[in-house]
Amino acid sequence: MTKKFWIGLIIVLIVALMGVSYQKFLINPHCAYDGSPVTPICEVDIVLKEKSTKKFCSIYCATQWFKNNVTLIDHVIVTDEIRGNKIDSYMAYFVESELITNETNDNRIHVFQQRQDALTHAEKFHGTMADDPFTIDE
Amino acid sequence: MLFVAIFSLSLGGFLFLLTIRTLLSFKTTVPLEDKTKFEQKGYLVFLLACVTLSIRMIVWPWFYFMLQSFVSEVPGAMCMFGVTQILPSTVTFLQIIKPISFFIMGGWLLCYYVDKSTPTAPLARKNLLFLLIVCGVLLADSIGDIYYVIRMKPLMSVSCCATFFDVPLRPSAMIPQAIFGKNFQKILFIVYYVTNITLIALLFTSMSKKWVSVTSLPRRIILYSQYAIGIINIPVVIYTFIENIAPKLMQLPYHHCIYCFMGNGMVPDAPIMLGLFVIGTFAIGWMGILRLLCKNREARLITERLLLKVNNLSAFCFLASVIMVTIHLILI
Repeated sequence: MTKKFWIGLIIVLIVALMGVSYQKFLINPHCAYDGSPVTPICEVDIVLKEKSTKKFCSIYCATQWFKNNVTLIDHVIVTDEIRGNKIDSYMAYFVESELITNETNDNRIHVFQQRQDALTHAEKFHGTMADDPFTIDE
Repeated sequence: MLFVAIFSLSLGGFLFLLTIRTLLSFKTTVPLEDKTKFEQKGYLVFLLACVTLSIRMIVWPWFYFMLQSFVSEVPGAMCMFGVTQILPSTVTFLQIIKPISFFIMGGWLLCYYVDKSTPTAPLARKNLLFLLIVCGVLLADSIGDIYYVIRMKPLMSVSCCATFFDVPLRPSAMIPQAIFGKNFQKILFIVYYVTNITLIALLFTSMSKKWVSVTSLPRRIILYSQYAIGIINIPVVIYTFIENIAPKLMQLPYHHCIYCFMGNGMVPDAPIMLGLFVIGTFAIGWMGILRLLCKNREARLITERLLLKVNNLSAFCFLASVIMVTIHLILI
């Protein structure tokens, strides 16, 4: 094997590591509640009245933060688990099931944009439909 | 894109006519007084071909850049898939002809390299005939590009990629499920590594005569196995990317859209992973073309040397692609 071959492989290795680092540290923000990386599929954004946004890694973390700061919150945006679409929490369907999304905080609440997806998930993972945990009393 | 398509169409048309004229007036022995004129004309044809084909080869990735640039213009489009819903039959045609044209143009350039490196150009006639086929594909590809760019109007609303890629009855799930059963995703993943590693091993084996003798397999069997596994590897890699790799790397476990994977920037090096796989696979085919068309005693040494280089390129590309995928899967 030539020197060029090894140099090429090292370059590829560096490119792959750079790609992973970009995904881990630049694209994915960290949870405003427990500091862990926020995976896009589980992301919850809490938009504050002063227009800034807090990002969370799971419904559990967002709910904990929400309970203590309810007066500061304008609205909450959740992510559809199927398509990754971001939607307002009042439009989403929540399911509490046996499937854990985050081992650290044992989050079992799942978010869906479409009712059918929520029902399918509930049936598959022995879950029940849940209320929107981010209801703001006017 | 339109400029490049029109430019390559006019150059391709001219090249096609010039190739036919050169072929009709082709003589194996040329009188000494006509030799310079004949050589210059042949040189012009091949130079024009090299320029045109190189441009057309770059157009393949460029086409996807163009589709990506239309995403914001098309109502309802979330990724390139939405754009492909406008003039779907033309886009399908372009998506099929572009890899074919990239492959045969690459093959022709390699054959030309062999011929050019030989003092008496013994493959000139074969190369001209091959160039005719290449020109046909080039013209069809260019006309397709022009038609698409002119006719494409983002007026209609299109559906999101999830309605195609994430439904349970999607073809990328049904076909492997029919072959491997219910747990097809795990099996597909294993098959992906098995076929790729086998292919890399075979390519490394044929790199040197010493390794061939160590494996004690006839060279012919190694070559045919390379072709067979190379062909099997294409659907395996495509399905594994759609079903396993893309959702895992995008961190969207239920989203199987290959266009989102390539173009949405969630995995910035995804086009490199797929590009390396494509070049690795095409390099196996290019070796086949070289073995088929460059069978000449005079060009044998140069062909052998070039075959070794293409073989190394193929092995490198497959290895690099698998390494990149594995690093992402482990670290993400």
